[in-house]
Amino acid sequence: MEHDAVQHAVQSGSKIQDLAWLVLFLPLLGSVMAWFITRRDRVLTTVFTLGTVILSFILSVTLFAVFGAASAECTPFQFLHIGDLKVDIGLHLDALSTLMLLVVTGVASLVMIFSTSYMHDDASYSRFFCTLGLFVFSMLGIVLANNFVMMFVFWELVGVSSYLLIGFWFERPAAGDAAKKAFLSNRLGDFGFILGILMVWSAVGSVNFQEIQASLIKNPAAMGVWAGLAGLLVFMGAMGKSAQFPLHVWLPDAMEGPTPVSALIHAATMVAAGVYMLCRVFFIYTVPAGWPPALSFLGDLSAATVVAWIGGITALLAALTAVQQNDIKRILAYSTLSQLGYMVMAVGLGASTGNPSASMFHLFTHAFFKAMLFLGAGSVIHACHHEQDIWRMGGLWKKMPVTFWTFAIGTAALAGLPPFSGFYSKDEILATALEANPILCGLAVLVACLTTFYMCRLVLVAFFGTTRTESAEHAHESPRSMTIPLMFLAVPSVVAGWFPVGEFIAGHFGVRSHEGVGRVVAQEGIGPMLTMILGGIDHALFAPFNHNALAAFLGLFGVLLGGSAAWALYWNQARDPLPGLFTNLSRAMRKKFYFDEIYDSVFIPIHDTVACIMAWFDRWIIDGLGVRGIHGTIEIVGRALRLVQTGNLQTYAFLFAAGVAFLAFIALQ
Amino acid sequence: MNYMELLGALAPEAIVVLTALVALAVDLLVLRQAPQNARQVVAVSITAVGILAAIIALSVAAPSPPWMDGLLINHSTTAFLKQTLLVLALVAGILSIQSRFTQHTGEYVTLLLLSTVGMMLLVSSDNLLLMFVALELTSLPLYVLTAFNKESPSSSEASLKYFLIGSLSAACLLFGISLLYGLSGGITWTQLATTLRAGSEPIVYLALILTLIGFAFKVAAAPFHLWAPDVYQGAPTPVAAFIASGSKIASFYMFARIFMAALPGTAGSAAWSGATPGWVPLVAALAVVSMILGNVAAIAQRSVKRLLAYSAIGHAGYALLAILSNTEQGMGSLLYYVVTYAVTAMGAFAVVNVIERDVQAPNGESLTDFAGLSRRSPLLSLCLLVFVLSLAGIPPLAGFFGKFYIFIATAQSGTSQGLIWLVMLAIGTSAISLYYYLQILKQVYVVESVGQPTPVQLRPAESACIVAMACTVLILGCAPNWLINRFSPNSTEVRRAGVITKPSTTLELAAEIHPRITAPLGTATGLVQKRPQFETTTANAQ
Repeated sequence: MEHDAVQHAVQSGSKIQDLAWLVLFLPLLGSVMAWFITRRDRVLTTVFTLGTVILSFILSVTLFAVFGAASAECTPFQFLHIGDLKVDIGLHLDALSTLMLLVVTGVASLVMIFSTSYMHDDASYSRFFCTLGLFVFSMLGIVLANNFVMMFVFWELVGVSSYLLIGFWFERPAAGDAAKKAFLSNRLGDFGFILGILMVWSAVGSVNFQEIQASLIKNPAAMGVWAGLAGLLVFMGAMGKSAQFPLHVWLPDAMEGPTPVSALIHAATMVAAGVYMLCRVFFIYTVPAGWPPALSFLGDLSAATVVAWIGGITALLAALTAVQQNDIKRILAYSTLSQLGYMVMAVGLGASTGNPSASMFHLFTHAFFKAMLFLGAGSVIHACHHEQDIWRMGGLWKKMPVTFWTFAIGTAALAGLPPFSGFYSKDEILATALEANPILCGLAVLVACLTTFYMCRLVLVAFFGTTRTESAEHAHESPRSMTIPLMFLAVPSVVAGWFPVGEFIAGHFGVRSHEGVGRVVAQEGIGPMLTMILGGIDHALFAPFNHNALAAFLGLFGVLLGGSAAWALYWNQARDPLPGLFTNLSRAMRKKFYFDEIYDSVFIPIHDTVACIMAWFDRWIIDGLGVRGIHGTIEIVGRALRLVQTGNLQTYAFLFAAGVAFLAFIALQ
Repeated sequence: MNYMELLGALAPEAIVVLTALVALAVDLLVLRQAPQNARQVVAVSITAVGILAAIIALSVAAPSPPWMDGLLINHSTTAFLKQTLLVLALVAGILSIQSRFTQHTGEYVTLLLLSTVGMMLLVSSDNLLLMFVALELTSLPLYVLTAFNKESPSSSEASLKYFLIGSLSAACLLFGISLLYGLSGGITWTQLATTLRAGSEPIVYLALILTLIGFAFKVAAAPFHLWAPDVYQGAPTPVAAFIASGSKIASFYMFARIFMAALPGTAGSAAWSGATPGWVPLVAALAVVSMILGNVAAIAQRSVKRLLAYSAIGHAGYALLAILSNTEQGMGSLLYYVVTYAVTAMGAFAVVNVIERDVQAPNGESLTDFAGLSRRSPLLSLCLLVFVLSLAGIPPLAGFFGKFYIFIATAQSGTSQGLIWLVMLAIGTSAISLYYYLQILKQVYVVESVGQPTPVQLRPAESACIVAMACTVLILGCAPNWLINRFSPNSTEVRRAGVITKPSTTLELAAEIHPRITAPLGTATGLVQKRPQFETTTANAQ
C-alpha cells in the first residue's frame, strides 16, 4: 500500500500519536467527573463535559495537522490473550480515523453548546450532558479502534448510550419504546457482526485490521469460501447501526429523543459508524467472492454487490417515505436514512474500483449540513413551543432569520446544489455509480430528485406562506447559544465540498484516480494542501464538471426537476395537495410503506407465541393440574402428599425419564 | 501417607466445618433468648471470620501434589475457585441478615457452610467416590435450606420437588459411576482415561448418559431443569442466590473435568456434518435445548426470580458449549464464564432480595414491583443495570467476554469450523435474550411506580456487597486478562487438573500426569478390550 511510504516518516518521529489516548479518554473523564462530583451544579457540569469535548476537538485538529494521510499505531495494551486470539487495546491513526475524529469531536462540541440552552429548563440537565460525554467516548472508540473486538466493544457501548439518550425523556412511553426498538434492531445487526468477526478471525487468524489487511494483500483468497458470508455478516452490523433496509425501522422512531441528540447521534455520528466501519474493513469486500457449498448457487455474486443494492433500496424507500411525512424531525430522519443508503451504496460500488472514498466524502459533508438541519429544526421547535408539524407552522422566515438562512443553506447542500458541499460529495457518488452500475446510478439520480422535492416542500411549507397557528404567530428567533452553532455549522456546510476530501481518502486506499490536491496531501502533508487550495479554489469549484461532466449534469438535472415540482405544488399552500393527486401512493408513503405494521403483525406474534408455548409447556409441568390455586391454606404435609398423589411429581419423573430417552436416542443414533 | 499432612491439605475445609459448628453452638447455647437480629449479626460475623481465615489459609498454602491417586488435588485453580465459593457463601450470609424467613439462624448458617464445604471438596477431587460424596454433601443442605421459609408453602413445595428429583438424578449418577467402575476397573481419572474407548461397548454410552444426567441436573441444563424455576422462586432469596452461583461453579468445574479428563477417549464429535457418537454430541444436545428453552421461555415470565431461573438455564447452555469444545481453552473459557456469571447472578438476586423485603408481598416479588426503581434508589438501579446488561452480554461487562471467550473456544475446537452451527445458535439466542432483560430495565427506568415513590431501605453491608459485585463485573469486563490468566491453559497446574488438548494424545498426557500409570494396566478387569497399541504407547511414555 502507498501509505507504507509515509508511515516510516511518522514512526521515526516522536510519539505524538499517543495524544490519541487523550482524545479518546477526555470525554469519558469529563462525564465521570461531572457525574460523581458536580452533578448538582449545572455550570460546572457543563464546564467538565463540554470542556473536555472541546479539548478533544483541539487535540484532534492537532493530530490531523500532524498526521494527515500518514498512519501510525499507538502503543497497544495487552487486553485479552487466549490461545491464538490476541486482542490489544490499540489505537490506529490514518486518513480515515483522523478525518472522522474531526467530524465527531467538532459536531459534538457544537451540539453540546447548542444543548446548553435547548436543555436549559430540563430537570435532568446533568444526566443529559454526562450521557452525551459517554456517547462521544464510545464513538471515538469506534473511530480509533485498531481491531475488530475493540471496535465491537465500543460499538455496543454506542448502542447503550444511544439507548439512554433516545429514552432520555423516559416519562413519555413512546420514548421508552423507541429506545428499546433501537437497541433491539441494533442487537439484531450485531448478531451478524460478531459472527462475521468470528468468521474473519477463524479464516485469517487475526482480529487486527492491519494484520488482516496485510494477509489479504499477500493472499487475496485467504478467506476462501467464507469471503461472501463473512462480508455479509459484518455488513449486518452496519445495517443495524446505519439503519439500512430492512433494519431501518428504528431510526425514525428514535426522533423521540431530544433534538440535539437527533442532530449528533442520528444524523452526524452514530449512524455514520456503519459506513465508517465498512470503509475501515473495506479490504474484506475487495477479495474474490466465495461461498460455502450450501450457498454455492450464489456463484460470483460478491458481498459488495449486495451491499450496494441494499444501500440503493434504502435510499429510494426512505426518500419516498419522506415525501409524505409532516413531522419536521421525521422528514429529516427519513432524509438521513436516504443519505446513509447513498453512502452504503457508494461503499458497495467502490469495491469494483477499490475506492470507497466517495462514501466517506459524503459522510463528511453530510455530518455538517444534517447536524445543522436538525439543530435548525430544534430551533424551530423551540420557538414554536414544541410544535413539530410543518403544516402548523408557516411564514417563519421573517421571524427567525438566522434559523431560516442556515436552514436554507442546509437544504441547498442536502439537495446538492452547487457550490454547496453536498453537490460535490453527491457528485462523486454519482460518478462512481456511473462507472460501476448504471442502474444504480439512475436510481441515485431519482433519489436526488426526490430529496430536493421533499426538502423544498419542507422549507416552503414551514418557512413561507401564511402563518397558520397561534404558536407559529408568536415564534421569535432563538437565543445566541442556539444560533451561533448554526452559523458555525453553516460554514463547513458550504465550503466542505471544496476540499479534496474524496481524493484525500482515496489516497488512503492507494488510489490515484486523478491528479490533484489529494495526491499532494497524501505525500507532503497538510501545509502544501492549504496553499494549493487557496491557490486553486476555482479548480476545486469546477472539479465535478471536469472530472465527469455527465454525472454532474445528471445530478443538477435531478435537483432542478425536484425543486420545480416542489415549487409548483407547495408554494403558498395551506394543505398538502399530493394526497388528492395520488391517493394510494401517498397513503403508502405516509404509512412508511407499512414496515412497522408488517413487523408488528408478523414478527411480534411469532415471537410472543413461541414464548408463550414454551412458558405454558413449563408451567403445565410445574404447576400441574392439581397444584394450581392452592396458596398456603392447606397443611404443608397434606400439600406435600397431595403433590405426590396428584401426579405432579410423576410428571416430573416422567419428563426426567423422557430426557434420558432423548439422550439415549442421540447417543445411539 | 501422613494424616497430619492430609489435615494440612484440608485445612481450609476444616476451618469452615469448625466455623459451622461454632456458629451453631453459639447460637443454640448462648444466644437462645437474644433478639433475632442480634443472633443473625453474630452468626454472620462468626461466618465472616471463619471464611476469611479459610481464604487466607488457601492463599498461603503451597500447591501440593495430588494425594492418593488424585483423591485430593490442590493447585492454584482449585484454590482460586474455593476462595470464590467462600466469598459467595459469605455474601449469601450477609444477604440473609434482617430477613424474616426463619428463626433458626444457627442451623441456617451451619447448613450454608456445610454445603460450601461440599462444593470445596467437589472442586478438588479426581476421584469418582469423593466426587459423589461431595456432590451429596453439597446438595443435601441445599434441599433443607430451600425449605427454610416455613411460612411459605411454595418454599416447602420447591424443596420437596428439588429433593425428590435430586434423588432421582443422584441415583442415575451413582449407577453411571458404578458402570464406569465396572468398565474400567478404576475410580480415578487416570484409570478411567486409560481404559475407556468409544465404540467398544454399547454399555459405555449408558454409563455416559447416566453420569451426564447427574450433572445436567446440578447445572440445571434442559431437559433436566424442571426443578430450577420452582426452587429459584420458592426458596428464600439468599439461598436461591447461592444455588444459582456457588453450586453452579462447583458443579460445572467437576462436570468439565470428569468428561474432559476422565473420559477423553469417548468424546466423539458434534460437527454439523460428520458427528460421531460420544459424550460431546450428548452435551451438544443438552446445550441446544437449554439455550433455546431457557431464553425463549424467559420472555413470558412475570416474576423476576423465575425469569432469572430461565436465564440461568440459557446460561447453562452457553457454558455447556465450553465443555463440549473439549480443549484447554474450553476449560479456561468455562471457568471465566461460570465465575463471572456467579458474581452477576448473586448480584441480581441481591437486588431482588432488597425489593422483596421492601414490597413484602405474600406471593413473592413480581416484575411490576420493580416499577420506578430508578427514582426510588438510583444506586440500586444502576447496579441492577450493570448486572442485567452483563447477563445480556453487553460489552464491556464481564458477561460479554465470558460469552465471547466461549464462542472463540468453541469455534476453534471443531475441525474446519464444524461447531460453528452451535456458535451461531448461541449468538442468536443471546440476541433474543436481550428482549427479556430489557423488560426488567424498562420497569426500572421507564415505568412509573404505583403511588408516591419512597426510598428503598438499604443496609450498609448489603449495599456494600451489591456495589462491590457490580464493580467486579465491570472490572472483570474491562480487564479480563487478569482472571483468564489464572486459568491459563499454559500453566502446568491446569494440566494437572486434567485438561487434555487432543484426545489422540490422551495416553501420553495421562502418563505424563501420572507416572504410576502402569498400576491400572495390571489391575484393569473391565469389560473393555485392551487394544494392542495401548500397551506400547504407555510403555513408550514411560
